[in-house]
Amino acid sequence: MPKKNYVVETIRKAEMTLVLAKGKRLDGRALEEHRPIKIQTGIIQKANGSALVTLGNTEVVAGVKVATGTPFPDTPDKGLLVVNAEILPLASAYAEAGPPSEDAIELARVVDRGVRESEMVDMTKLCLIPSKTVYTVFVDVNIMNVDGNLFDATSYAVVAALRTAKMKKFKVKDDKVEETDDMVPVPVSKIPVSVTMARIGDSLVVDPNSEEEAAMDMRITITTDDDGNICASQKGEASVISPAQVLQAADTSIRVGKEIRKLIKDASG
Amino acid sequence: MLLLKAEKKQLINSKGIRLDGRKFDELRPIKLEVGVLKNADGSAYIEWGKNKIMAAVYGPKEVHPKHQVLPDRALVRSRYHMAPFSVDERKNPAPSRREIEISKVIREALEPAIVVEDYPRTAIEVWVEVLQSDGGSRVAGITASSLALADAGINMRDMVVGCSCGIIEDTVVADLDDTEDKEGSGDMPVAIMPNLNQVTLLQVDGIYTRENFQKAFELAIEKDKQVYAMQREALTKKYFGEGVSTSGEEE
Amino acid sequence: MIPGDVIATGDYRFGSYIEKRGDSYIALRVGLAEMGRDGLRLNPLSGPYLPRAEDEVIGKVIDMNGFGWVIDINSCFDGYLPASFVFGRDFSPSTHDLSSKFKVGDVIGCRIESFDRSRDPQLSIRGPGFGKIPKGEIVKIAPTKVPRLIGKRGAMINMISGSTQCDIKVGQNGVVVITGSPEGVLKATTAIRMVDEEAHAADLASKVEAFLGGAPTEG
Repeated sequence: MPKKNYVVETIRKAEMTLVLAKGKRLDGRALEEHRPIKIQTGIIQKANGSALVTLGNTEVVAGVKVATGTPFPDTPDKGLLVVNAEILPLASAYAEAGPPSEDAIELARVVDRGVRESEMVDMTKLCLIPSKTVYTVFVDVNIMNVDGNLFDATSYAVVAALRTAKMKKFKVKDDKVEETDDMVPVPVSKIPVSVTMARIGDSLVVDPNSEEEAAMDMRITITTDDDGNICASQKGEASVISPAQVLQAADTSIRVGKEIRKLIKDASG
Repeated sequence: MLLLKAEKKQLINSKGIRLDGRKFDELRPIKLEVGVLKNADGSAYIEWGKNKIMAAVYGPKEVHPKHQVLPDRALVRSRYHMAPFSVDERKNPAPSRREIEISKVIREALEPAIVVEDYPRTAIEVWVEVLQSDGGSRVAGITASSLALADAGINMRDMVVGCSCGIIEDTVVADLDDTEDKEGSGDMPVAIMPNLNQVTLLQVDGIYTRENFQKAFELAIEKDKQVYAMQREALTKKYFGEGVSTSGEEE
Repeated sequence: MIPGDVIATGDYRFGSYIEKRGDSYIALRVGLAEMGRDGLRLNPLSGPYLPRAEDEVIGKVIDMNGFGWVIDINSCFDGYLPASFVFGRDFSPSTHDLSSKFKVGDVIGCRIESFDRSRDPQLSIRGPGFGKIPKGEIVKIAPTKVPRLIGKRGAMINMISGSTQCDIKVGQNGVVVITGSPEGVLKATTAIRMVDEEAHAADLASKVEAFLGGAPTEG
């Protein structure tokens, strides 16, 4: 991730502080304003579902593949959901090839939590034969270009891909599953929306770009569901946040999340 | 138990038409776009049939780890990687042996075209990411990588362009898709530097008579030149647009 | 031209980005070829900044050690500014504190003193106008477009700075710093981005002139 190596010029940082005091950012946005979000679904026809999301210049591609597998012994009637993310070396001068970094793993797990805890996917509907055969839903995200806020871009891509994903229909006969030629939608409801804020000086800004992330000293991601409940949250960077700011962030996330939920809904039918 | 033999698909019919309607020497539709990623020094996106591949170049840049630095030339690195959702059965994201081999042959296909002596003590990295795969992804990756290198402004002696030919049901055909590659009897990816007329990638898979080998090989080179014209068009579109200047205002 | 194209055949003098093969001259880059008084030239439309001695660049301090500053000069190699060049010959790490002069993040105008194949570029800040740049708007353009931005004997850059009443420092490495009124800076930034994006256009100068609104100030 850029923060470790990306040095923000002191004159840019000084300018940033000046405009933040007036409630604006260097790219002209207001503190709670996110960059333009574009969501395209169904771009990878071989995948069960897919989405390309651009959030400003950050670009990510999510692909859903559905297979069958055996359930975990302690949840015999639930399907499996695996969310994985990779920051591709082609995405940034600071990314390297190799196994996922701790940043990529944190990214995947936080996005996964947002999807799982919101109960967006009905895991019981993914069960074919309890204790024997269930659907396994893999969502893999490739980060194609880094310009800050991978958390939200990844989350929107995963949600849009799942909402438009279709899986093979199976017939259950004599304790065995038989493939049919029909496709059914992956059982989804709800739209969890992740909103990430960065703290620069005393201000919390929504949807930080790369430069803002390099200048921030704390990041907080809060995911809300359709009812305004908070289903996942993660504070990042080695710094502190006051209880008041946590609550402020929660309110911002609910507010901004509502607007983004409409965007995701329109783009993913 | 009676085992029924699966019906074998006819890959090319008596009129010489393939499953997707193409004639033996027809290429699948190809779309090329240069300069699509903001961070990369150079990039290109290619859709070749159902293949969807992104190539990006970073460099010249510092070499890490430092002990790998070459004093008189650039170190060229490349990685070919398939997204887990790019194929029919979800693929584990960790590099497979196939991907590692392809990464190597891609590097060896591109390196002869790069004037590495002009960039001593640096690294030039080429990243190929396959978002959707359908036969011929390595030559599509090479074709896009060459555009990405040109986009990055790295000195190149020539472009590099690739295409795969092979045999299906005893007929030499150009540009095999995934089904033809799996069910056919031979696949031959060939990449060339078109102006220097030199081959930089050659792999052969299958059984060819001497005559078919030559036929497939020459067909591949002919198709390479066709794709080269598309590379030129893509670069021209991005860099020259309209109103090309014939004299600069430089000092 | 795209890499591999034949620019001309015959016997000519030729410049960078061109390779001679037999009696053919081959383009090594995407660019515009021309025949000038000095022979064949290829003006590249993309490519990295490769440091050259005597170049004036604008960089950013990214690291310091006891004896100097490491400066990102938008190239494959970071530059090094020795502390002795700044503090003088009697510099010693025990008596001089590097961060009292330049800190990480500071934007510095410097000159490349030397660069060869065996070590990183050495920088200095000798000369007027060099050293820390305390304020301004930073714009990054492709290094290959810098000649176009400067123009013949400074014509383009003087037109932009005169018309917007801004001070514009242009580094050979593609980093530009603009200081002036907010309106002037915005106008200058737009004009500079225009040059970056349309450097290949034949009528670029008139396009920029039209955007700036009227005849340029003599500069």
